[in-house]
Amino acid sequence: MYSFLQRTIQTSKIRQICRFSLFLQNLQTTSSQLSHNIIVSNHSYNYGFHQRSIVSQNQFRCFGSESDSITVEGIIANNWNILDEDDGDWKSHAASVAQSIDLIKRRLQWKKLKVRLDLLSAQLTKPDLWDDPVHAGKISREHGSLLGKVKEVNALEQELIEHIDMIKLAREENDEELESESLKALLNMRRNAKEKELEALLSGEHDYCSCYIEVQAGAGGTESMDWASMVMQMYKSWAQRRGYKVIVMEEMAGELAGIKRATIKVDGEFAFGYAKAEIGVHRLVRISPFDSNKRRHTSFAAVAVIPILGDGSTRVQINESDLRIERFRSGGPGGQHANTTDSAVRIIHIPTGITATSQNERSQHMNKASALAVLQSRLDQIEMARQAQLNAQHTQSLTDITWGSQIRSYVLHPYRMVKDLRTNYEVSDPDSVLEGDIDAFILSYLSASLDKDENNG
Amino acid sequence: MNSLKYHAQFQRDKMMDNGPDSSILCRELKWLMEDAVEDHSLFSKMGFENSDEKVKMRVGIEELYNLWKERIEKRRPFQYVVGCEHWRELVLSVQEGVLIPRPETELIVDFVCDVVSKNEDLKRGVWADLGTGSGALAIGIGRALGIGGRVVAADISPVSVAVAAYNVQRYCLQDKIEVREGSWFEPLKDMEGKLAGLVSNPPYIPSKEISGLQAEVGRHEPRVALDGGVDGMDALFHLCDGAALFLKPGGFFAFETNGEQQCRDLVDYMKNKRSESLCNFEIVADFAGIQRFVIGFHH
Repeated sequence: MYSFLQRTIQTSKIRQICRFSLFLQNLQTTSSQLSHNIIVSNHSYNYGFHQRSIVSQNQFRCFGSESDSITVEGIIANNWNILDEDDGDWKSHAASVAQSIDLIKRRLQWKKLKVRLDLLSAQLTKPDLWDDPVHAGKISREHGSLLGKVKEVNALEQELIEHIDMIKLAREENDEELESESLKALLNMRRNAKEKELEALLSGEHDYCSCYIEVQAGAGGTESMDWASMVMQMYKSWAQRRGYKVIVMEEMAGELAGIKRATIKVDGEFAFGYAKAEIGVHRLVRISPFDSNKRRHTSFAAVAVIPILGDGSTRVQINESDLRIERFRSGGPGGQHANTTDSAVRIIHIPTGITATSQNERSQHMNKASALAVLQSRLDQIEMARQAQLNAQHTQSLTDITWGSQIRSYVLHPYRMVKDLRTNYEVSDPDSVLEGDIDAFILSYLSASLDKDENNG
Repeated sequence: MNSLKYHAQFQRDKMMDNGPDSSILCRELKWLMEDAVEDHSLFSKMGFENSDEKVKMRVGIEELYNLWKERIEKRRPFQYVVGCEHWRELVLSVQEGVLIPRPETELIVDFVCDVVSKNEDLKRGVWADLGTGSGALAIGIGRALGIGGRVVAADISPVSVAVAAYNVQRYCLQDKIEVREGSWFEPLKDMEGKLAGLVSNPPYIPSKEISGLQAEVGRHEPRVALDGGVDGMDALFHLCDGAALFLKPGGFFAFETNGEQQCRDLVDYMKNKRSESLCNFEIVADFAGIQRFVIGFHH
């Protein structure tokens, strides 16, 4: 039986990648775009977050005054000096933990969270709650998740105070063993609390979700379409580095180069939590390779990020009868007349006019399924925005993003710099950023937007 | 330089007959590579991982190059080059001598799923796929049927029978799907009045159009699966007559056609000649908006 999939010709032979890419270059005459996707380059990984530069370490001065009533606020008010972990000073550990707890609370938007929790608790006691099981399920899920967070922070506070009490007791009793044990526990806590700070950055309702990233070229023809494809490539590389699975859902190529618009699916934990920091307009300044007069151009690309809600969330019900499914880029009589590997599908949701397309699956059936998934997420997103004004900034669709809402500037000429206009975080190496090294930008934005004084946030 | 020449030739050819454009070819090349790499999960990482990683290939580089040259130079269908067609959620083995299942035809399985979801009797009945080719429809339907449901898949071509049987086996459906060799209803003599359903994507292209077909189709796919006689309706009329005879009461049928004209002619024929046994005729369009299918029931 002749079947490519089944054949095991030369399976034992191991081929080197470089030969592989050479082969591809030979084929470039028929496939110039493709080789660029496959040729293997030498990028090294950089998973580390630039945490140090982001989480500002306040300088604490030591006033030496020590209060007897121990609370987390009290410990912070004491302004105990925070030393390195290796310095076995319990006050330093305690102050560090207290500071972490304070930061975590701010990131969780503690006061708002408590108000919301009270509201949800009140709703849960209503006798008619379960008349609407979908709504009730949502309320009780959110209640459970918020309560879990509150309990976790309370437990941290409790634990901190217990350790301090223990150390004080040990000192009074001159119990050196107990003191060193408690000190060790406090140090452990200090390390854990640092990790929890980071987790608290991604505590939004949908942060854990996978997401779609959409990029659209601004006005300006080929130059801005090229920029849009550079931005999309930046996200593809970023997602790959983070270990996310990337699938191209739809892509509208520009006439000469680049893309007019494209959507990728980024599959993995917290993809939305991170990627939502990228929503907005990205601006490029460079000498355009498409300008024969070598003039400097400014181009824009808009980025939207849509969470892919898990089954636990409320999802918009789609009626099959509300859908119009079209095959696009098709022409001629079709059927037995045509041999094609193209089975691109566009789905239109008639009541809302929202559309979704998919073209990169290998069968029409699969294209339909993935377009339907995109459509589902778009409708969910609209519903979410409707339900929760709070979340509105994170649920904008591409059409909602005004070209005025610039978030980041990439300058390649006359100087080289990438600067985030929201946080003023900047780096002087645009190449590495465009190769996907954007974690520092993401984290600086996430912490800046959450670490504001809670009363202002 | 040679490949440039082929490319130019290819460009000229495909302008003539609606062949694939360069964006489609680029994607095919990507899929060719994907299929050629033994461990699929590696493919998505290429271009990002360190270059010292080795990749195991199913075919040698030279052979791969020659395969692609055939695609360009001879307009050999991509599906024959890689030996498979992705159809619905299936990956079906195909080779020269077997019609490559079309995306349009996928919809027939949707019709059947729809019908059997409302009718338990049909879900457990015996179905027939005539002119099965690669076995696509038979396998798609076989997976939709319930316990007791069976499919008989028939084809006149021994190559098709072998390929279909192989595909059936790959999806472990040999207990549910029986592949028989023979022309249309000939191998179904024992099934008269017993079929719960009948589906077919028969040859429906009018004979005079065969010579002008897209090169991938006209030069490489089996004529017996394409040529439907003078007006393309030979097999379709035969299937209608058979449906009246072989379907049991309440049985369902779905046929693919060349388009609007054939759909209308077919419905007219059934209304005039077979209305004592067939009813509830419906013409259904494919996703390109072409009226493609005729479906209906036995009284």
